[in-house]
Amino acid sequence: MLKKNLLSLLIANVFLLIFVPLSQAYIGLCCAHCGGNMPLNIPGGGIPETHEFRFKVSQMFMVMGPLRDGTRDLDNAAELLGPANGTTFAVTPEEMRTYMTMASVAYSFTDDFAMMAMMSYIRNEMDMQFNTPLQSSTGTRGFTMTSDGQSDLTVLGKYRLYKDDNLAPTKQASVLFGLSLPTGEIEKEFTNNPVNGQNGTILPFRMQTGSGTVDPIIGVTLQSSTDPWWYGANAQLEAHVYNNDQGYRRGSELRYDFYLMRQVHSRVVLLGELQGWYEGTFNREPYRGRILGEGHAGGTPSGGFLSPLFDPKNYGGHKLAVTLGLQFQPIPLHVVEMAATIPIYQDLNGPQLRDDYMLQFTYYVELPTKKSRRYTGFKAPKELGF
Amino acid sequence: MKMTARLKLTLMTTALLLGSLHPSVWAHQQAFENMGITKPRVEKSAPGFALQDIQGNMVNLEDFRGKAILLNFWATWCEACKEELPSMQRLYEALSSQGVEVVAISIDRRNFDRVKKYAKEYNLTFPVLWDPEQKVRKHYYIMGLPTTYLIDPNGRLKGFASGARVWDSPDSIQALTSLKEKL
Ligand SMILES: [Cu+2]
Repeated sequence: MLKKNLLSLLIANVFLLIFVPLSQAYIGLCCAHCGGNMPLNIPGGGIPETHEFRFKVSQMFMVMGPLRDGTRDLDNAAELLGPANGTTFAVTPEEMRTYMTMASVAYSFTDDFAMMAMMSYIRNEMDMQFNTPLQSSTGTRGFTMTSDGQSDLTVLGKYRLYKDDNLAPTKQASVLFGLSLPTGEIEKEFTNNPVNGQNGTILPFRMQTGSGTVDPIIGVTLQSSTDPWWYGANAQLEAHVYNNDQGYRRGSELRYDFYLMRQVHSRVVLLGELQGWYEGTFNREPYRGRILGEGHAGGTPSGGFLSPLFDPKNYGGHKLAVTLGLQFQPIPLHVVEMAATIPIYQDLNGPQLRDDYMLQFTYYVELPTKKSRRYTGFKAPKELGF
Repeated sequence: MKMTARLKLTLMTTALLLGSLHPSVWAHQQAFENMGITKPRVEKSAPGFALQDIQGNMVNLEDFRGKAILLNFWATWCEACKEELPSMQRLYEALSSQGVEVVAISIDRRNFDRVKKYAKEYNLTFPVLWDPEQKVRKHYYIMGLPTTYLIDPNGRLKGFASGARVWDSPDSIQALTSLKEKL
């Protein structure tokens, strides 16, 4: 709760910071990043002007379900519920809803180099269904498992290696590099489980809000424009190479995007994206499952998993999704983006909830500092005698 | 040391006296400052160009010899640019009969129709040229938009302004007429 308040306070401060100096900041000078527009959900999309800050707040809502194994959807009750013996489970998930509030700040040190930091506040809700014995002993069909908290903190640098023009580039290539820092949690516990003795035990992997490890991130971004089109590709690898305090690590994650944007009005841009994810399995159970037997039948490590969610092999796979959205500029320096994502292909490792749809609303604002060209203007060229 | 200081003072007083004899010089100076126009350290000739205008005619910088020119670089994707163009039209209407020319060069790479459409929408009657290859833009070292150069009737660069301005303000009119007068 305290953390939640802190985050809202942070966001409120950011907004205050933004709205006060804006009116004086806009002196009507166009940028050196024109033609570099990107969808805001791509890491490093929307790089600020040199010596300017960019604050971004994003609200995401995602629904997952039903269960799927490989490329085939599963029927919970018929195919998975039963005794916790390794192939059937006492409890299976039906649907998951994730609410994520993301805040990020970026600053450009030069025309080619920007740094950004992003952090989220996540709330997960997962509807769980009991097998018949648990339904009769608890007197209920199931329950909704919840967790919330701050995510890992991501710090990224973006360095532009190539541009074909400084003022209005039509081709750009950049590298991304950074770290995901373990500010999220990996020991979130059950609090409202109707089954005796389950509260206080560790929640499954996906309900945790962090990876628990310092994870290196590398990526490349290609951006092109042919007025009124913008298009490009982005690939990013988040490697998970160390075990966390619970003795496990998440699978590494490779994410790639192809995007196409079209300016339909001076203030409106439509966007389409093809997004892909490859994600590996978790390497093993947390200590509390592996050694203490939490999440296992009978509370011993040798007992079968109570739910497919506790099996580290039931994570990851390959997903492809399509995103459609629009960017809108209500007033100079302010940008709003709305986007909806639906999956088109999902091949998942073991029984797990598949993606259903995702909605995202992003607001971003640029804040020029006194060093920004929007304050100082461009220098007159000495080549022409100035 | 004292001598130098006294010499400086004398020079300054002389300059002030001379200046007060020609109050228009000071007013012009002030107008340039108020407009945020950078004056050259060394006066150089404006780089020549030949570009197509929105009517399809070739236009040369040479064509305007004998006139004071406000040379503006813009693009249809630059909102700040589009905001200042109407004030350039009003300046043009006020001063074109006095030998002041306004020339706008669009650096849009494609969609010349959009440039035409904008010029029509805002009834721009001064020459609007197109530099799709970005050649002229590069000769003028344009690093941001909008950028404006002031050129005197002899074709020499007299001023540089980065960012949008209100070009029909009294200061702007003063600055441009001063370029004409000094001939
Ligand atoms: Cu711009």
